Amino acid sequence: MFLGGTISTPPASLRLRSTLNPQNAVTQSSSQATFPAAMQRKPPSYSISDEDLESRGFLLRRTSEGLNLDQLNSVFVAVGFPRRDTAKIEVALQHTDALLWVEYEKTRRPVAFARATGDGVFNAIIWDVVVDPSFQSCGLGKAVMERLIEDLQAKGICNIALYSEPRVLGFYRPLGFVSDPDGIKGMVFIRKQRNKK
Amino acid sequence: MLLIPISSSSSSSISPPPNSYPSNHHSLFFSNLTFPIQHGSRKLKTLRLRANFWESIRSGFVKNNNSTQLVEPPSIVNDEEEETEPLLPVEFTLVERNLEDGLVEEIIFSSGGEIDVYDLQGLCDKVGWPRRPLVKLAAALKNSYMVATLHSVMKSSSDSDSSEGGNGQKQQEKKLIGMARATSDHAFNATIWDVLVDPEYQGQGLGKALVEKLVRALLQRDIGNISLFADSQVVDFYQNLGFEADPEGIKGMFWYPK
Repeated sequence: MFLGGTISTPPASLRLRSTLNPQNAVTQSSSQATFPAAMQRKPPSYSISDEDLESRGFLLRRTSEGLNLDQLNSVFVAVGFPRRDTAKIEVALQHTDALLWVEYEKTRRPVAFARATGDGVFNAIIWDVVVDPSFQSCGLGKAVMERLIEDLQAKGICNIALYSEPRVLGFYRPLGFVSDPDGIKGMVFIRKQRNKK
Repeated sequence: MLLIPISSSSSSSISPPPNSYPSNHHSLFFSNLTFPIQHGSRKLKTLRLRANFWESIRSGFVKNNNSTQLVEPPSIVNDEEEETEPLLPVEFTLVERNLEDGLVEEIIFSSGGEIDVYDLQGLCDKVGWPRRPLVKLAAALKNSYMVATLHSVMKSSSDSDSSEGGNGQKQQEKKLIGMARATSDHAFNATIWDVLVDPEYQGQGLGKALVEKLVRALLQRDIGNISLFADSQVVDFYQNLGFEADPEGIKGMFWYPK
């Protein structure tokens, strides 16, 4: 069976119509979607609806347009990530399969963010899931994750993974994430550990 | 994820693309290789033969009575040399061995991503992976930041200098025997997927070489975080290559895995 979807540099020959089950919704506002209108499905049910969020002053964004990278960097730092070169962040965002952020209407600043990279058809990894500490514990992280997962699924990506710090395993589990399924281990290359003299 | 060996027949050959590898296999270092210059300002060092890594897998090559020549690619870096590490060429020969009836086999590594999707599907079949649609395979490859391949090239040893056709144009059999790919955001993170080696070529250190070279190429592009998900039976394999499971307690998680 064929699956259509958004890929980063889609050649014309690879744009296919989706013949998948009707649960593939085209809910994203991104202009990269290539699904025909006939493939609409019922809107997904989120823990907090878009309208609810909007009524509280939180606007959902699915592109990096309008995203101030210095402000995003500040949110990263506020949650304990290293401050990174904004030029590199920009490169990373250009090569990201899907991203979602929440803009706080009052300040126009990002208060929640998550992005996913991958090959656009089989696998996606979610990175940089952050919520500004001042806005935590009111459902924004969950809102971002639920929608990001939905967006990835809409592209036909079935394998969605991430690396979780131990203190937030409890955040990801209720969202449906399982650690080490079947004994699969996440591994990271450690530099400078080889060739010890 | 590396697969457990199962036996199967060999796949068909394809004719080699022009200029993709040196024709004179006796001087296989930089002088005969054509490759795009990598980004970055690291200066090239003169090549030196390496010890540890190649010695550790050298024993794996002495499988038959025929002589096997190891052709060392650019050296594996020491900690103190990391600043001026020679850039990996896109394509180079990993090993060369003399077989019976005058045949010579070269195993060629390439990070250039030249791969026939039909060959890849055949290789996935050989290792027993479930079939994936060709179009999706092609898309996945295209969307990957780096695709590393191992090809086996068979040629007649009397043929070593000929690259022209003439009336005796020798067919050089080139076969895909391994692949690994990495996705990345081009800035911070890369994740390695789909590491596989033809069962007929397993147990010789080729999988290790494949991953090691892929990691090296990623590091040379300043990708600081290289990760992967390893099936439980290959965790040791990756540990030996410098990967650590659950570093600082960070866990790999999957969304509703099947």
